[in-house]
Amino acid sequence: MDGAMTPTARVTAEADWKIGVDIGGTFMDFCALETRTGRVASLKVLTTPDDPGAELLTGLSLLIEREGLDPAQVSRFVHGTTVGINTIIQRRGVDLALITNAGFEDVIELARLRMPEVYSLFCARPEQLIPRDRVFGMPARLRADGRETVAPDMAALAGAVASARARGAQGIIVSLLHAWRDGSQEAAVKEEIARIAPDMFVFTSSEVWPVIREYERTTTAILNGYVHPRVAGYLTALEHRLAGQGVPARPMLTKSNGGLMNAAEGKRSCVNMLLSGTASGVIGAAWLARQAGETRVLTLDIGGTSADFALIIDGEPQFGTGELIGEFPLFIPSVSVSSIGIGGGSIAQVDERGVLRVGPDSAGSTPGPACYGRGGTQATVTDAMVVCGWLGHSQMAYGQLQMDRALAERAVGELARRLARPLQETAQAILDIAISEMFVEVEKLASRAGVDLREFTLMPFGGGGPMLGAFLAQEMGMRRVMAPRRPGVVSALGGLVADLRGDFIRTIFAPLDSATAPLLRAAMDGLMDEGRGWLAAQGHRGGADLRLSADMRYAGQSYEIEVPLQPGWIAEGNLSGMAAAFHDMHDRLYDFHDAAGEIELVNLRLSAIGAGPALRFPEAEEVAVQARPRRDVPVHTGGRVQPIGLYRRRDLGPGAVFSGPAVVAQDDTTLAIPAGARAHVDRHLNLYLTFGE
Amino acid sequence: MFDRMNLQVLANHARAAAENMGYTLQRTAHSAFVKETEDFTVMLLNRRGETFAVPMDLGATWYAGLTFGRAIDQIADYKPGDVAFTNDAYSSFVATHTPDTVLWKPVFHEGELIAFTGGHIHNTDMGGAVPASLSRALTEIHQEGIRFPPMKIMNEGVYDDQILRIMSTNVRKPDLNMGDIKAMVGALTTGERKILAMVEKFGKAAFLAGVDQLLDHAEAQARDVLRAIPDGTWDFTDYADEDSVEANPCRLKLKLTIAGDSAVLDFTGSDPQLGSSLNVPTGGDPRHSVLLVAIYYILYTLNPRILLNTGLTRPFTCIAPQGSVLNPVSPAAVGMRSLTCARLRSVIFGGFVQALPDRLPAAPAGNNCIVNVMTTDARGRSIIAAVNPVVGGGGGMPHRDGTNGSGADAAYLKNTPIEITETETPVEFVKYALAQDTGGAGRWRGGLATEMAFRVFAPDSRITARNRDRSFFRPWGALGGRAAGLSDMWLNPGTDRARRLGNVDTAVLQPGDVLEVRSAGGGGRGDPLQRELWRVAQDVARGYVSVPAAARDYGVVIVDGVVDEAATAALRATMPPATQPFHYGPEREGYETQWTPAAYDLLTEILGGLPIHWRFFAKTEIFRRMAGRSGAKGVELAFAEVRARFPDMPAPSGFLQEAAE
Repeated sequence: MDGAMTPTARVTAEADWKIGVDIGGTFMDFCALETRTGRVASLKVLTTPDDPGAELLTGLSLLIEREGLDPAQVSRFVHGTTVGINTIIQRRGVDLALITNAGFEDVIELARLRMPEVYSLFCARPEQLIPRDRVFGMPARLRADGRETVAPDMAALAGAVASARARGAQGIIVSLLHAWRDGSQEAAVKEEIARIAPDMFVFTSSEVWPVIREYERTTTAILNGYVHPRVAGYLTALEHRLAGQGVPARPMLTKSNGGLMNAAEGKRSCVNMLLSGTASGVIGAAWLARQAGETRVLTLDIGGTSADFALIIDGEPQFGTGELIGEFPLFIPSVSVSSIGIGGGSIAQVDERGVLRVGPDSAGSTPGPACYGRGGTQATVTDAMVVCGWLGHSQMAYGQLQMDRALAERAVGELARRLARPLQETAQAILDIAISEMFVEVEKLASRAGVDLREFTLMPFGGGGPMLGAFLAQEMGMRRVMAPRRPGVVSALGGLVADLRGDFIRTIFAPLDSATAPLLRAAMDGLMDEGRGWLAAQGHRGGADLRLSADMRYAGQSYEIEVPLQPGWIAEGNLSGMAAAFHDMHDRLYDFHDAAGEIELVNLRLSAIGAGPALRFPEAEEVAVQARPRRDVPVHTGGRVQPIGLYRRRDLGPGAVFSGPAVVAQDDTTLAIPAGARAHVDRHLNLYLTFGE
Repeated sequence: MFDRMNLQVLANHARAAAENMGYTLQRTAHSAFVKETEDFTVMLLNRRGETFAVPMDLGATWYAGLTFGRAIDQIADYKPGDVAFTNDAYSSFVATHTPDTVLWKPVFHEGELIAFTGGHIHNTDMGGAVPASLSRALTEIHQEGIRFPPMKIMNEGVYDDQILRIMSTNVRKPDLNMGDIKAMVGALTTGERKILAMVEKFGKAAFLAGVDQLLDHAEAQARDVLRAIPDGTWDFTDYADEDSVEANPCRLKLKLTIAGDSAVLDFTGSDPQLGSSLNVPTGGDPRHSVLLVAIYYILYTLNPRILLNTGLTRPFTCIAPQGSVLNPVSPAAVGMRSLTCARLRSVIFGGFVQALPDRLPAAPAGNNCIVNVMTTDARGRSIIAAVNPVVGGGGGMPHRDGTNGSGADAAYLKNTPIEITETETPVEFVKYALAQDTGGAGRWRGGLATEMAFRVFAPDSRITARNRDRSFFRPWGALGGRAAGLSDMWLNPGTDRARRLGNVDTAVLQPGDVLEVRSAGGGGRGDPLQRELWRVAQDVARGYVSVPAAARDYGVVIVDGVVDEAATAALRATMPPATQPFHYGPEREGYETQWTPAAYDLLTEILGGLPIHWRFFAKTEIFRRMAGRSGAKGVELAFAEVRARFPDMPAPSGFLQEAAE
């Protein structure tokens, strides 16, 4: 395990372990901290897709064996799982029915109309999670002001429930127009279903996420119901497994919003954990950034099939809604992550016009890149890294992968032959193209956010981030790269350091004027009660950090921006304070504001945050020292093959400096350092690269 | 000069620059048209003004192959920091109606002009006779708002205040126009910065050579697509329901010739220019982007990796005779050219479906109706709101059903949540759903139509429903597939006050009135009798197809939700296999028994021989005299009556010659 500066392990009877566990496509990652000694252990275990959760026991026994962990001393266990998102991607969820207003049965199919691939005559929507023959319209209607003009027709409901059952539905989603204003109509329908079909589970749109916009609210409720039985079953098994191992801590789960919830909550609010893996990666990265004093960071997580990017601004992740879960958008607050289908396994090809391309096809983890020797024959980005000489000097993934250079050369060589170009130039071109594909995505992210990435530090993590990160930074004109010590377990770390976080929303949809002020006060009080109650239900004992914000817009706009609010503004009816905050935010995001414009307040939001334990990881003073490579290796870079230094990460203590071009090998990744970069290791063992002056 | 192995890298950097421009514009624009409807484009242009990169994420799909050359050439002496613009459809044929303001900015490197950045925004209003500057009823472009021929709006980084003041004085929402123009200038400047970064990365000479290669590459990709199509000539005709308000059909005609790796699209035989705003201004440019929009869709569908730039227009030559609806002369109005463009796309799709029957879908619904309401709220304030686009499905594809409720060439449109509209606007929706039995039957069913109905609460609520079409001429089915359901509009459907509004695009509603708007559906593809029983049963279970239609159109007998296989086999045995290349529906078939192709050809020939300003008048008068007549003979008789009634009308040139021969 990590050697560089772990204090001597001395596990005592009073040891206190906190464990973060995150599951990815190939590995389950563990990050464990013993708080008395500051000992940190990280490891990866191959996943067991046939028996989700079994990896957990393997990992725990490795920690027991190697680290002397006593399960009884685990006081915190935080878990991020992909069981929910995989259920959707693989479409293995439960058969549901949807009950909605008559005349509006196709809301989920019509969605927002616009489709991706607008230039294709074959553009299409995904097959819905609830097919149209299990969608039932019933007479019922609320108006926008909350007035009921048609009461739910319970006789029609009974017929719908009977048909739903006959068509195989095991659960029901109830979503009625304007339930954002008043959820009692949906609640009445739910109650009636419970009476006539007590064996069916029911979720209403307003209890899952009571936001205005019928499609967005309905699809979010459907995602919740669709994964519910599988997720609940998984979590129950997890609780039993941990208890069976003698772990006293009740498991906490990572959420799409970067926070945590307990397992009981997770079984009901399944939708909140769908993006927890990518979110906790960004949370872990943000924590590392704050620890290192970095405020503006672009994270880059490259896996086998994709690259994920996120912005950290002022030390905080950015949030958004509408992130895609497989083919379906999700409208609860989530840590914003952009993704592109280019990763280490992306396949390079020469097309029919002799043009070299990379992706979107990927060799994935099976068979994987040719150099893995698992039967892959097509050249991938990883193979190009091997051919150039950046990879293949040591074992990968904690000794679970060995690179076969000859296989990589054969695969890339086939393309080189077709292009009639030298082998290593071809490999370099594959890398350049892969980087340029990521460049497009990052440029889009930056222009959407309106930020200048030259002021940002790139933080690469995941298995592939450190391999390509420095090249991407150069392409983007970014001057700093910060490579954390344990790039493979940043998501697991993110769970370990996360806070409890519950999000709550009330749609107001009214002009920001004095008539609205009492509404806001009532909504704020309700939200605060809800937030405090939620924290208490999670078992939180400490103080509550209640953050208030509002989605506002100018009248006539059809989208909102979220503006942080001071509770005092609402309590005192200080509307001008709120207006000023909105104008400022509009200016920051869109470069203009309209001081005379009428403002509408669409949603009031509250995040209830219960701080987790303050964790301290070991650090050490920097001792300036010129690092020395283990040996030189031949690498094709700068248009020629040259001998460059191969460093081992564990040799590099705080204060070590050296220059690129260089390769740094470590158990879970390889860091490629181009010419012109200066490398420097900080007190937290982050390896910094700086370019230019 | 440029290493071809880096072509994808350059293409990616160019696209990144274009995407960056698009997001910058969308982020900083002021109007809903630009910010939400995304009625804008941005592009990178080479020194000749040819587009070499566009965004794929954002914006309209019409101008990927646009060339700014003619507009660029009208301005001499570009300097760094200049921005030029025009919105005049006739002075350079870059803008295609007055609300579309086209801007471009030169990019200099060390004093040398190396590229331009460009784009267009749809301004909410440019003044003129009606709010938003668009109405089918307008008859000359002078009614469609103030026009600016190509000129500099910014000189070396400084706005020309006089131009801005003239515009502000003449338009209804000057703040929106100014905000959007400034946002576009910001986007153009972003693009300029990104181009200079590319020059720094690749070197100037390699950049210039590389840009040429991007165009050449797109051209080669397009030629590959054409080469894979057998040589031949195919004719196709489609009609817009009306050539002006409540009037006669408008015919668009195509003769498509593919020879080797190039294609000619000859639109001779299309209607003369119209006395409404449905004309499409192209200046007769053989590669005008607006004539080739369907080509972008076809090429992208056949090769999704095709680079979208001006290079892919090179293998195509369009012929649009002067004075025709596709090449009107000033001052013909052009504001509602989008309706005609939708029909133009379906004509080109029809040509290519014959050339490449295995690869392309049947007709999409092709009527992207935009519904607006002007009403009064409870406090007496006047409210104007866009309600929703009512869009129909895509045509049946070679491998799956047409997409329901949108798709194909309408997939860029967005709707507004019902809950938002009802909260902001005093209307109540009664229905927003897919409409049963509206997709053309076929081996692969056409996508269903959308049906929207809403109620108003205030007196004299005015509704406009722009781009209504396909209420008479159906979206066609292909290869045995059947035509789709028609679009329609009803006042108070299902009540004793019900009134069918047909193809009109305006209505006045009183309190409690319900307006129902339905789009057309997508055409079916392939013989409906080949459709698997389980798919028909599923369509019935889902309510997409009724039980009677399942029997009538598919020969599938469904009893209590279950296929009666014996009855189905018996029924299907009585139905002949469908193999006709196109199915147009009974309305067009009936229409063409009177207006036979020969009759309409003669009409077009007569009109083409008249001076341009007589053509539309003469068409209307001939139509007026066709009652009880049909065929070419009928047209001859009708025309004779018209000449007798209007002796001042000059003799049509070509017609006379032939008559003399």
